[in-house]
Amino acid sequence: MAVAWIGNREAQLQDAAGETAKLLQSSRCPVFSFDTDVHGTRAAIALAERVGAAYDHIDGAVLAHETALFTDRGGMTVAPGEARRRADVVVVVGELPKAYGRFLLELAATKPDLPVAGERAFFSVGDVTPALDGKREATPLVCEGQGLAATLAALRGRCAGRQVSAPVKNFEKFAAALAKARYPVFFYSGQSAAALALEMLQGLISDLNATGRASGLLLPASEGGWGAALASGWMTGFPPRTGFGRGFPEHDPWRFDVARMIADGEADCHVWISDDPQRRPPKATNGCALIACVRTDGPVAGAAVTIGIGQAGLDHDGVVYSAQVGTLIAVDGSSRSDSVAAADILRAIAAGVEAEAALPC
Amino acid sequence: MLTKIAGGDIIDPVNGRSGKGDLWIRDEEIVEPPSGGKADKIFDASGCVVMAGAIDIHSHIGGGNVNTARLLLPEQHAAHLPRPSATPLSNAGWSTFETGCLYAKMGFTTVVEPAMNPGATLHTHLELADIPIIDKATLAILGNDDFLLSLIRDGASEQMIDDYVAWTVGTTRALGVKVINAGAAAAFKENVRNFSLDDVVPSYGVSSRNIVKTLQASVGRLGVPHPLHVHCNNLGVAGAADTAAATIAAAEGRPLHLAHLQFYGYGKEGKRGFSSEAARLAELVNATPEVTIDIGQVMFGQTVTVSSDVMRQFSARGSAHPKKWVIWDGDGNGGGIVPYRYREDFYGTLQWAIGLELFLLITDPWRVFFTTDHPNGAPFTAYPKLFELLMRRDARAAMAEGLSKPAMALSTLSSIDREYTFDEIAIMTRAAPAKLLGLKDRGHLGAGALADVAVYRRGEDIAKMLGSAALVFKNGDLVVQDGAVTHYRWGKALRLNPTPDKAIVKRLEDFHQSRYGLSLDWFSFPDSAIARENPFAEVA
Repeated sequence: MAVAWIGNREAQLQDAAGETAKLLQSSRCPVFSFDTDVHGTRAAIALAERVGAAYDHIDGAVLAHETALFTDRGGMTVAPGEARRRADVVVVVGELPKAYGRFLLELAATKPDLPVAGERAFFSVGDVTPALDGKREATPLVCEGQGLAATLAALRGRCAGRQVSAPVKNFEKFAAALAKARYPVFFYSGQSAAALALEMLQGLISDLNATGRASGLLLPASEGGWGAALASGWMTGFPPRTGFGRGFPEHDPWRFDVARMIADGEADCHVWISDDPQRRPPKATNGCALIACVRTDGPVAGAAVTIGIGQAGLDHDGVVYSAQVGTLIAVDGSSRSDSVAAADILRAIAAGVEAEAALPC
Repeated sequence: MLTKIAGGDIIDPVNGRSGKGDLWIRDEEIVEPPSGGKADKIFDASGCVVMAGAIDIHSHIGGGNVNTARLLLPEQHAAHLPRPSATPLSNAGWSTFETGCLYAKMGFTTVVEPAMNPGATLHTHLELADIPIIDKATLAILGNDDFLLSLIRDGASEQMIDDYVAWTVGTTRALGVKVINAGAAAAFKENVRNFSLDDVVPSYGVSSRNIVKTLQASVGRLGVPHPLHVHCNNLGVAGAADTAAATIAAAEGRPLHLAHLQFYGYGKEGKRGFSSEAARLAELVNATPEVTIDIGQVMFGQTVTVSSDVMRQFSARGSAHPKKWVIWDGDGNGGGIVPYRYREDFYGTLQWAIGLELFLLITDPWRVFFTTDHPNGAPFTAYPKLFELLMRRDARAAMAEGLSKPAMALSTLSSIDREYTFDEIAIMTRAAPAKLLGLKDRGHLGAGALADVAVYRRGEDIAKMLGSAALVFKNGDLVVQDGAVTHYRWGKALRLNPTPDKAIVKRLEDFHQSRYGLSLDWFSFPDSAIARENPFAEVA
């Protein structure tokens, strides 16, 4: 079965890798988008450095909300296991990615056991009410007609005893729950909460910690994105949206937004890597050649090169971020196949690019 | 491959060598001079000092907290120059790759990450595996985790405690055990804001002292070479010297290592209520042979404090510079990231002086270790300057000239004449760390030792000399020449590997399922997950 194509023609894997290397070497502004496991990410960043490319995660838009919280402000967070054991007030901020529905159900079905066994109260901030176990509902904290950031601002103001122009529905109930709470936890992600909303949320959490305890649990909008942010952090010092165009890593969330670079005609060669079979690369546009490394059994329309790759945790072993554990975990290939791992094909491409040094990974 | 390092001043206190001579390396090992042997390669070391590769026992070089600090401070670690072609990513500010290169340039060949969260072991080891050239090791953090606190509270047997400690060391691939502000992180989750050695963790009824003594005894019974590595309570607090003194007394004849003692060398004297207790602590250390310490020297400038002492970091958030910080509650310790600028003001000067006083007043170089608690007191890149301050009294005096006079008046530093010799430096940074960590294959230049060798060209400028090695060999492979890294090689993480007890594994599996809804498997990983060849080396 073919696993690589140059244009629409079947090709040997090494030929496709070689063609990709040639395209990258002749590119004046190559860009990478990826959503793969940690080792695929490491290999992609190493290749990006070798060819002077900028790189971003495929979910870079929402990931940037979350990384901005760290690069610009900081905050208070808690490990998911500790949240499960201690959260006596659960506050769901905005709409969480669907993938975390099970975690919320589990929270609804369990009780905190530290420091002593107790009950959980559930609240939500914003217009979306999270699905729980059917026996109970989260109490909505809403400012009519206001967005999430404004609602959080009003909530923070009320918690601080200030007057606010827009009332927060059910605030008294929330205040009563906080007064009894020993460890309230705010669950949030960058999916529905942009940087300003997350900053306001962290301000609220910080205020609550002046006299008591509270924390926030980041449930990343993209687990793959957060894993990439961690690997990118230790390899370059920066999260994704980093570029090597000047021979050293530079981080700029606007300048190295790869989607923007393509849309604005800055990029001329786009390496798109995802082992998620549900994802498909964008159409090659704006004169930007597309190299697609995807889980596929056919060529991607419009791609200069298509390379079929396997999925970490299915076709091969890998390392991914797990929001439920709150760190990187090893995943076994549950249905091993001959499909090449993203890391391996990226190293093969890098081998075709002239360089004095061996790859760092 | 037979290599000869010819005509250098060899300093090897373990083997009693001190003077001009040759050093022979066959492949990865140091060997006796071969009779009639002809070297494949000869390096002229005349005019140079030749020592074993240095070992840093306490430097936060990788793991979740370190990486969070990177994310928090992108403006502090930008690269400025295109990378050298031989070493990818080596100019990426504060990357793993830069870390390995900078250490190697100074002649360091083994570095211990002293605070590995057992719940995030894979992340830590992945980072360490991306640090080139040097070997690494980790200490696993215990003492704020619910499982251990519950065992102590419930009066578990010594055997059960030992099984848990051994399981933790084995599964995390650690070289030892560290306890950080024992019990305080657990207490902080219950809104306790201050915590001392005899304070009790709410809900567990277990004192901090009890936790330390339990772990100290267990580490001893298990035969872990490195004594329990203790980050005491009350770090950074005026009056913390009392806590440190009480912890030293708590050693009670059994080995105990106190980390970054400088941060506890503070008294409450003077109009600012902040004074040096270094002389008192040094005297206590001198009189307590079972205790070893490292310093955590402060040097001036911008840095970031990275610590699993979440209570202390929370209390320090107001001094963050720039004004941003991260505090996280973990399943055990958690951590805090608070950027900080050490200024040449009263407080900064006194901290600087206290560290140097401890270095100079603790008489036995086998029991005092060279650290800045990177990056907490200063980045490890400050080491060359620190070596100069220890080896040159006039350099100390010159630097003190520009510092706070009221602070210097509260310190004995200006009255101390001692200057470290090269022999003492070799003990403190090579021989003693190897002994403390149980690493028989390094820290010396005897036959059979790993060929980790640092060669420094002698010069009046100590900082230049020790900051930029003329030659560095790692496992016999030349990796640094004239202060520049020539290529990457990949070191290993040194680990212990005690056999896990089946009963404790079953108990832990039940614990994780019932309390976290997760299998214990989520927290383990095969060596292959690191994706490097032989990423670990077992220390016998």
